[in-house]
Formats: sequence, structure tokens, C-alpha cells
Amino acid sequence: MNAIEIRGLTKSFRGMYALNGLDMTVPKGAIYGFIGENGSGKSTTEKLICGHLVADKGDIKLFGRDFTDAGVRVRVGALIENAGCFPGSSVYQNLMMQAINLGLDNPDEEIMRVLKIVRMEDNAALKFKKCSLGMKQRIGIAMALLGDPALLILDEPINGLDTDGMRIMREILVDITKTYGCTVLISSHILGELEKISTHYGIIREGRMVQELTAAEMDSRARVFVSLKTKDLDEAARLLQKKYGNVRIEEGYVRVYDVNETEAIVDFLIENGHIVSEIKKNKIGLEEYYIELMSRKESK
Amino acid sequence: MNNTREIKFESPSFYQRLRGMLGVDFYRLFHTPLYYIFLAIAAIIPAMILGMTTVEGGAPLYSNTWNIVAADTPLYVFNEIGEYANMNMVFIFGGIMVSIFIGHDYGSGYVKQLFTSHPKKQDYMLSKTITCAFSMACMCVTYLIGGVTAGLFTGADMTVNVGSLIIAILGKMVMSLGWASLYTFLNVIFRKYFGISIASSFFFGTGILIIGAAAVIGNSSSALLNIFLYGSSVNACLSSNIFTLIICVLVSVGWTLVYNLLGTLVLSKSDVY
Repeated sequence: MNAIEIRGLTKSFRGMYALNGLDMTVPKGAIYGFIGENGSGKSTTEKLICGHLVADKGDIKLFGRDFTDAGVRVRVGALIENAGCFPGSSVYQNLMMQAINLGLDNPDEEIMRVLKIVRMEDNAALKFKKCSLGMKQRIGIAMALLGDPALLILDEPINGLDTDGMRIMREILVDITKTYGCTVLISSHILGELEKISTHYGIIREGRMVQELTAAEMDSRARVFVSLKTKDLDEAARLLQKKYGNVRIEEGYVRVYDVNETEAIVDFLIENGHIVSEIKKNKIGLEEYYIELMSRKESK
Repeated sequence: MNNTREIKFESPSFYQRLRGMLGVDFYRLFHTPLYYIFLAIAAIIPAMILGMTTVEGGAPLYSNTWNIVAADTPLYVFNEIGEYANMNMVFIFGGIMVSIFIGHDYGSGYVKQLFTSHPKKQDYMLSKTITCAFSMACMCVTYLIGGVTAGLFTGADMTVNVGSLIIAILGKMVMSLGWASLYTFLNVIFRKYFGISIASSFFFGTGILIIGAAAVIGNSSSALLNIFLYGSSVNACLSSNIFTLIICVLVSVGWTLVYNLLGTLVLSKSDVY
């Protein structure tokens, strides 16, 4: 059973299509990295799943049920744009309101449990407006975690966080999925961070799904390359181009694509009078894969 | 990764959903200053009116302390401000309070949390109506306490038909439900525009449309206006009887159903924000 199944989802705002027949499948237990440029329809999709927007047409199923079913909705947690807390109320009071809404049996216990997960158990009495951005994002996650959700929908949860904040958020997300086995749909522009946690990817453009793939598929499709440094980059690149074909100079390195043999390259360059000062094997990451995919689509 | 976890989905009943929503709204009501500020306003205003207008040398606004609750007879069109400035003013304060209460839901983004989980749009309408009606009914009580306390200090006349007085007070408290549903509906329509929400609540709360209609048809023929919220609120006066209270209940509940249905329809057919 899939956690989310979307077919032909369409949503327009004043005649402009934000989503145009989107199909999407998020397997149960996945951390689904939802990728796309600004205005591609990521947030609109998430808001539609959360019931914040009304779709023009299309079908959304959560765990095989209609997404409006109260039984399934009670197991959905979300952080869309902001935590949705009352600034004048304390962290505890904000969480208590959601705990009451969900009808939890032991709200106090549950609040402390989620605060511990997001490492904020010492800040329960703090007023929400006094919290830093990173803390607010974590409170949003805590709120979404109340009531043992089966599905978490997180819209740009790491935006605006510093390096340490990102690390904490990443650890929290991995911990949630490992410990509680819930499915996570997460959108972000910070592809490097998504790459570290996602098990599945969905790439959206102009309101349509361009590609869905697993992390393993992404790995197998990723091109390998060897990057190296010599004194004369241009001359080295020219020589390597003749032998290996696909060679580029990028960021002060010569890149030899679709090649895995560093020793052969070093021998070849030494034979031709070049000294290699640095060499390493690389793989195109999610970010480069995404850029390449987008540019392919553009050229079509 | 623990992908094999068995997930159970149990649909909460209407009662469970409403209990959750009411729990949230009442928790918020009692844990934020808004409610207490408006209770204080409702107590201070009549005390100020009564105190300031009965001081030595001033022209008394009321011939009787209990006119702070209602006029002697249903005066749809008033000649003096004293005939208008009575417990019906609670419905104006209440309108502003409801606008702020619901406005905070949308302003803070909390409404997203609500609608992401199980509450339906009808639960939201009903819960807000009940919570805000409770607040307005409480404001009626503090208005009464403020007015009577000031009346005792000023030594104004306190002769009254106790039965009619109780019915007038109960009638106005019952009308809180209808007014709360109107304000909830207005605030749902104008949820993206906080200023318009407050202005519209104030506009309807003053009863100016009904006062205008009554001015055209005259006070004696204005009983027909009792089918409206302001008409019935005015009808609950110091000469009320049990039928007045029954009319208040019918009108209040009737309009609550209408506004809740309309509000639910608006919320269901449009985006939350």
C-alpha cells in the first residue's frame, strides 16, 4: 500500500495552473524528497494533500483511503510554511491545543515525548514569539509529531536554518522514520541535505511530475567522473579529451566523465609530461542530476 | 527502517471531533488575555455610562438602573442614546472579540494545523459559534455586574419587575448564540481581510440595518423585525414575558443553523487561505 497516491491533480489560481494533472506515488515508510524550482507546484501539492486548498480536479488517496477521511487525517502531521502557533502562547500551550484537538489520552506525556524528540524539552515554558527560527521549525515538527502520525508533510523545514540547525533537523527526521516508521514527504531547495536523508525522489516542474525514482535508482543513474588538478589545466584537458572524449574544466579541476580508472589517467598524463597534484573519483550528486535533468527538459 | 508497522485508522465520531475542537477553543479562550479583557470592557462600560451620567449636575441617562440592561419597552427606533446603550452593546463588543479570536486563527496559521488533522469545516463553525456565544453570555453577566454596582453607588432607582428582568437578561444571553454565529460567518467570509472582518462585525452588531428599517415602518409595527437578531435582542426588554424568551430561543437557534450551514459551505468550497 502506498502512503500517498495522487492521480491527475489539477489546481489553478485565477486561471493560472499551479498543478496540471500531477501524478505522484509515495511508498509507505519512505522519506520522499520533493524537488522543484520556485513555483513548480511543490507547496500547492502539499497544501492540497493537507486539505488547505480545494483541487479543481484529481484524486488524492492516503493509505488507500480518500484523503478527506477523518480516520486517516487524524494520522497526518504537517509543517507547511510555518509552525502555525500562537505567538503569545508558550510552546507547551501551543502543543497542548493540538493535543486536545487530536483527543490524546495523555497530553502531558505526549507533549514531553515530542519535545524530547526535537530536543526542546527545556523550552516548554518559553513563549513562541521568543523562540529562534530554528526552534520554531522544531516546534512545528513537534506539533506535527503529536498523536503518532503515519504521514508527515514538511514544506521547506530546513530553510533559513544554520548548519547546526540543519544537522539537528536531519537527525530528527532520520530518527522519526527509523523509530516510528512514519512516511515523510519533504520539500526543500537544499538538495544536498535532501540527498542525505531521502529514500525516494520526486521531481516536479510546471505542475507536472517529471520523474520519480528511488535513491538506489538515482545512484545507478548518477554519472561517475574523475576530477584532477595539474599545472596546465587546458593542455591536460585537451590531451584527456582526445583519449576519453567527455572532459570539462570546472571549478579549477579537469573533469573526466564516465571514467573510473584514476591510475590509468595518472599514467597517461605522466607519459605526456604532466604532474598530477590532486585526483579523486566523484559521482554526480542530486543537485547536478537535477540541474542536468532540467536543462535536458528545457532543450527539448 | 520499520516499514512494516501496522497502521490503524479509526475515524473519530462527530462528538469526538467536536469535543476536540471545543476543547481547543475553550483552552485558548481561558489561556489568553483576550477573553478577560473583553469581560472587563463589558463590566467597565456600563459602570462608566451610569456613573458619568448620574453625577451631580449631569442629566441622568436612565430613569432606572435596570435600563442599563434593557429599555422599558421594545424600542427598535430610539430617541435618546440611553434607550440604545444597554446590554445590546455586548453584541458589539462580542463582534470585535470574535473577529480577533478568529483572526488569530488565520493570522498565526493555526487554522492549518486544525484542517490538516481530522476536524471538518462544520466542526470549526460550530465550535467557534459555541465558544464565542459562551464568551458573549459571560460578557452579559459582567455587564450586569458592572451596571448594577455603579447603580448602587449612584443611588439610581432600582424598582423593577424581577420576572421580566430575568427574562430580558436570559433573552439577551440566548441571543448571544445567534450573534456569535453571524460573526463567525462574517469572519469566515472575510478571513483574509482582518480589517474588513472587524468593520463588518461592528456594522452588523450596531443593528443599524434593523434600526433603519424600523425608522421606516415605525416602532408600533416593528414586531416583525423580531425575526432578526437585533430585533429579538431589542424585544428582550423590561416588559418581557415567557413568549419573548421563546422567540429569542427560536430566532437565535434558527439563525445559528442558517449561518453555520452557510459558513460550512463557504469553507468547504474555498481555499483555507
